[in-house]
Amino acid sequence: MESLRDRAVIVGIGQTDFSKNSGRSELALAAECVKAAIQDAGLSPRDIDGMTTFTLDSTDEIEVARSLGIGDLTFYSRIPHGGGAAIGIVHQAAMAVATGSAQYVVGYRALNGRSGQRYSQGVSGDIVTSDLIHWGWYMPFGLLTPASWVAMFTQRYMHETECKSTDLAQVSLSTRKHAVNNPNAFFYRRELTLEQHQSSRMIADPLRLYDCCQETDGGCAFVVTTPERARDMAQPGAVIRGIAQASADDQESMTSFYRPNIAVLPEMDLVAKQVYAQSGLGPGDIEAAVIYDAFSSIVLWQLESFGLCEPGEAKEFIKNGALELGGRLPTNTHGGQLSEAYIHGINGVNEGVRLIRGTSCNQPEKNDCVLVTAGVGIPTSGMILGKLA
Amino acid sequence: MSAPTGKSAVVLSDVRVGDSLPELSIPLTASLIVAGALASRDFTPVHHDRSAAQATGLQDVFMNILTTNGLVGRYITDWTGPDAVIRNVAIKLGAPNLPGDTLTFSGTVASREGDELRIEIKGKNSWGDHVTGTVRVVISS
Amino acid sequence: MHLDSETARRNQAFEVGIREYVGMKEGPPFACPDLVNEPMIRHWCEVMGDSNPAYLDADVARKTVHGGIVAPPTMLQTWDMRGYPMRDPALIQNKQRELHALFDRAGYTGVVATDTEQEFIRYLRPGDQITSETTIESISEEKATGLGIGYFIVTRTVFTDQNGDEVGWLTFRVLKFKPSQPPAAVATDGGAPKAPSRIKSPRGHDNAWWWEGIDAGLLLIQKCRDCGALRHPPGPMCGACQSSRWETTESSGEGTVYSYTVLHHPPIPGYDFPCPVVLIDLQEGTRLVANIAACKPEEIHIGMKVECRIEDAGEGMKLPFFYPAR
Repeated sequence: MESLRDRAVIVGIGQTDFSKNSGRSELALAAECVKAAIQDAGLSPRDIDGMTTFTLDSTDEIEVARSLGIGDLTFYSRIPHGGGAAIGIVHQAAMAVATGSAQYVVGYRALNGRSGQRYSQGVSGDIVTSDLIHWGWYMPFGLLTPASWVAMFTQRYMHETECKSTDLAQVSLSTRKHAVNNPNAFFYRRELTLEQHQSSRMIADPLRLYDCCQETDGGCAFVVTTPERARDMAQPGAVIRGIAQASADDQESMTSFYRPNIAVLPEMDLVAKQVYAQSGLGPGDIEAAVIYDAFSSIVLWQLESFGLCEPGEAKEFIKNGALELGGRLPTNTHGGQLSEAYIHGINGVNEGVRLIRGTSCNQPEKNDCVLVTAGVGIPTSGMILGKLA
Repeated sequence: MSAPTGKSAVVLSDVRVGDSLPELSIPLTASLIVAGALASRDFTPVHHDRSAAQATGLQDVFMNILTTNGLVGRYITDWTGPDAVIRNVAIKLGAPNLPGDTLTFSGTVASREGDELRIEIKGKNSWGDHVTGTVRVVISS
Repeated sequence: MHLDSETARRNQAFEVGIREYVGMKEGPPFACPDLVNEPMIRHWCEVMGDSNPAYLDADVARKTVHGGIVAPPTMLQTWDMRGYPMRDPALIQNKQRELHALFDRAGYTGVVATDTEQEFIRYLRPGDQITSETTIESISEEKATGLGIGYFIVTRTVFTDQNGDEVGWLTFRVLKFKPSQPPAAVATDGGAPKAPSRIKSPRGHDNAWWWEGIDAGLLLIQKCRDCGALRHPPGPMCGACQSSRWETTESSGEGTVYSYTVLHHPPIPGYDFPCPVVLIDLQEGTRLVANIAACKPEEIHIGMKVECRIEDAGEGMKLPFFYPAR
C-alpha cells in the first residue's frame, strides 16, 4: 500500500526573532523566516517550487515568493483551523514532494500575534465569515475567546479525572524550565514557581494566566523535500516517519461540546492511530515530544490520545518531571507556546527538527523518534520525526 | 443581609462581614468631570479639553483618578458617617467615565479586624467596571 | 537562524534607557504650594457631593473623632498637584517627565492612570504644610493591554508635614502605551456614549427559526421528521439519517450542568464580569451553551439541576438563562 512513511524530509528550518512588537509587517516576517529556512537548507530561493501555509495567515504565498525571488511554483495550498494546521501544512508539503508535484516545498506561518490581531481578544460579530452562524451559538453568552472554549473542556476533564490546577501547573512549570535556557524564548532566564502559577490571575476558570500561551510577533518556516535529495544537503534531515490530519465525528471548531464525552480528543485519537500505523511505531518508541500547548490542559489530553499514558492518567504520568530533560518524555524542550512563543505550532515543528538534529537548547540524549502535534479542539494533525537513514 | 441605609452613621456592632453598602448612583456630566479635575488641581488637558480627549481616541473628556478617589471616599463616609477614619484606599481603574453615563457604586464588607473594616467597592458604568478596589476604614464602636 | 534587525536593536536601546530611571527621585522634595485650607476643601466637597460635616462644619467636626475640621483623606494627592502648568508637559521638568518623553519618542504616546493606593497615617488639618517626594519605583515588562502595547510605571510619593513627620503615601501606576485603535467608545458626536451590548447571533436560513422561538419565549429543539433524532445546534440535515425534513419540539427547559467556566479576563464590554457560562444537558438529551443566573460563580457545579427562563438581555435581545432548579 502507498504510504507517506519515510517519503519526505524536513531539511531546513528558519525563524525570525520573537517579540511582543515586531515593528514590521507580517509579509516582512514571512519573507525573513522563509529566507532563513532556505538558507539553513543550503538552497537558493529559485530552488523552491512549492509553498504552503495556514488559511489564517494574512500573507499570500505569491507575495512571499515575489519578495524572495522564488520563481515558478507548481504547488501551493492552505490548511484551515488555526493551530490545527501546524502539522497539516507539513503533511501538504510531504504529499507534494512524495507525488512529484514539487521538489522543494516551504511551509511558513508569520503573524503579529501581539501587536496586531490578538487571538485572546476573541471573535466578534464584526467579522463576517461563513462560520458566523456557528459563533452565534456562543457569542451572546460571552463565550468569545480561545481560553473560554478550552476552559469548558478543561472543567469537565478535571471533574472526570480529579485533575487539579496544581497538576496543570506541572505542564507550565516544565515548559518554563526549558525556556529559561532558550535565548529566543520570551521567558528566557525567568523561572516560574508553583506559587506564582497558583496566584496568577484567573482568565477563564479553571485556566489561570500561566495556563495560557504567549501572544507573539514572529514567523517560522521549514523546507521539505524527498529523502533522495535530502541525503546530499547541508543539514541532517529529519525524516517524516508518519504524518496525518484528522477531523472526527461531531467536530466543531473549538466548540465540540455536543459529543457524549468532551473530556477526550477523538480527532487527536485519529491522528495517533494513523501516525502509528503509518510509521509502524508505538507509544513506547517516542523518546521526545513537541506537544501543542496553547493551554496547559491540552497537553494532558494529547498524552492520553497518543497512548503515552492511560486515559485519565496524564496527571500521574507528568509527575516527577516526566516532561523535563531526563524525564520519561522530554516535551516542549524549546519552552513550548506557553513559554517560548506562540507561532501557531510552527515553532514546534522547528524544535522537532532541532531535537532530531541534536541541536535543541535542552537536548535529550535519546532523539531517534520525536512526536510533534498540532492544535487541539479543532480538526488537527500530527507527525513522528526520525533520523534520515 | 442587613444593608444600613441613609446617611445615618453605622455602628460597629451592627456591621457583619458580608453586609452590602447601599448603592450610590452618580450621573456623569461634563461639568462634574471638569469640575472634579479642577478641584483636584489636575489640569491635564484630557480632563477638561474635549479635543485633547478625542485625540486619545475617546469621545469626550473623561474623569481623572483623583475625582474617582474622592467619590470613593464620599461613598464610604456617606455610609459610615463622620466618625470614621479611612486608613487606606486602593483602587484600580477600568472603563473610563464619560459624560452621559451613570456611575453606580456598590460595596461589601469583606472582613473585619478589631474596629477596622475592609470594604470591597465597585463603581460600574455602562461599559463595565470603572473602578474596583478596597477601602480600610475604622469606625466607632 | 536568528535574524537580528534594526528594530530589535532600537528596542533594546530603549529598554536600557528606560530602566535607568528605576529608583530615581522625580526631583527634590516638593513644597506643596497651598497650605491645607478650608476653601479648597469646600470646593472639593462641593464637586464630590460630599456633605461630611467633618470636612465642612467646624461645630459638628469638633464633636467627631477628628476633633475639628479635617481635609477629606482622598484629597491627599490634590495638595501635591502642579495645577495650570500641567496643561503643557513642556512647563514641568522632572525625571518622570523625562521618562515619559522617552516613551513618547518611542511611540508610546498614550498615558492613562490605572491604579492608586493611598495610605493615610493621619488626616490633614487646615494649616498643615505638606511636602511630597516622589520616586520612580518600577517599570513593568512590555504588556499588551486593551488600549495598546505599553509599560506600567509605578511611582511612590511620600507626604510629610511641617514637622517632617510622614502623614501618608501614595503609589500611582500609569500605563504608557502605543494607542492601537480608537476604543469602541467613539461614537456619535456628543450625547451619551452608546453602551456596548452583548453580541447577537446573526440569523440565517438554518438558525433564524431557533432565535425567533427565543424571541417568542420558546426554547425549541430541532427534531428529524424521519428518524426523530433531536439535534442542537440545529442544521439543515439530519446527521443520523440524512433527511432534510425537520420539525421542532419545545424543551421543558429542565437540565443539568454538564460543564461550565467563569470568565474573568479579558472583560468584554456588554457582558457582566466575572461571567459564568454553562454547558447544559437538557432533559430531552441535547446540549446547549447559555448563561446561569441567580447563582454565585462559586456555587456552580457539574451535575447541578437547572431550569430555563427566557429573559430580556438588553436592547430587546432575548436569551435563555438557566436558574438553579427550585
